[in-house]
Amino acid sequence: MTVRRIEVRERVMARNDELAATVRDRLARHHVTAINLMSSPGSGKTTLLERTLSVLGDPLDIAVVAGDCQTQNDADRLAAHTGRLVQAVVTGGACHLDALQVNDALDHLDLDRTRLLIIENVGNLVCPASWDLGENARVVLFAVTEGEDKPLKYPKMFETADWVVLTKTDLLPYVPFDAERALRYCLQVNPRLKFVQVSAMTGQGMDAWFDVVRQVVAPLVRV
Amino acid sequence: MHELSLAIEIGRLAEERLGPSVARCVTVGVEVGSACGVEPSALEFCLEAVFSYPPWAGAKPAITRPDGDIFQVTYFEIEDDDGPPD
Repeated sequence: MTVRRIEVRERVMARNDELAATVRDRLARHHVTAINLMSSPGSGKTTLLERTLSVLGDPLDIAVVAGDCQTQNDADRLAAHTGRLVQAVVTGGACHLDALQVNDALDHLDLDRTRLLIIENVGNLVCPASWDLGENARVVLFAVTEGEDKPLKYPKMFETADWVVLTKTDLLPYVPFDAERALRYCLQVNPRLKFVQVSAMTGQGMDAWFDVVRQVVAPLVRV
Repeated sequence: MHELSLAIEIGRLAEERLGPSVARCVTVGVEVGSACGVEPSALEFCLEAVFSYPPWAGAKPAITRPDGDIFQVTYFEIEDDDGPPD
């Protein structure tokens, strides 16, 4: 017996990236912008989305793909705030959404009637960072109930993001969270990051967040 | 879970390249960059699991750790019959 070596040099993520390119093409053909919304579990993705849908859902024709390991609770919650289809992806235990799941979910959305697609990723600061879903913008939520050093602990998530939304700011008086330090750590891992601070509960800062959403959609608005 | 889906993807990629020869594959070389977000020991564990089921017949992962965020399959080693003796 002899052992023969076959050289390959093939990136493991190549197939996901091809599918992400397919998603990107499909969305661009229909003039749809996509936001990939990521965070650790419980930082307020679904609550932020509920408020966003009730204000911008109709004006921006927002459709949502909500990913969760199990249950479609989030999709049910979101469906109460929009008449438009909210597609649930139950990953069956997987820790992130991939481009194949998003591409399949697009089959169930009316893309001609959609201007903004928000993809609510699985709550996790590690794995979703590695998977391109074909989005135009990556938004990370960072709750003031977390440690300020989250960006240093999970650098890839913050390196690949465009926006950081500091959430639950109504709790700032009650938690030992130093917002200035948190933002400094964010910029340390990614100097291009942009910020918005919100409380989806009290509504504080939400107008600034809505402006961010409008700004992300603006380049693709049909004339 | 992350590493398991990556291991399954590596298995898929190898089957696509090697076809039925995966049963004779003894080593799969994988580069796991220091900043690619993949945990090498978890990936090794998952790859061993994938390679222990048909069509695989017990190939071993050979993981190296270069700098940077590269994450790629670099080579396959296949055991060949040398043909009938003279």
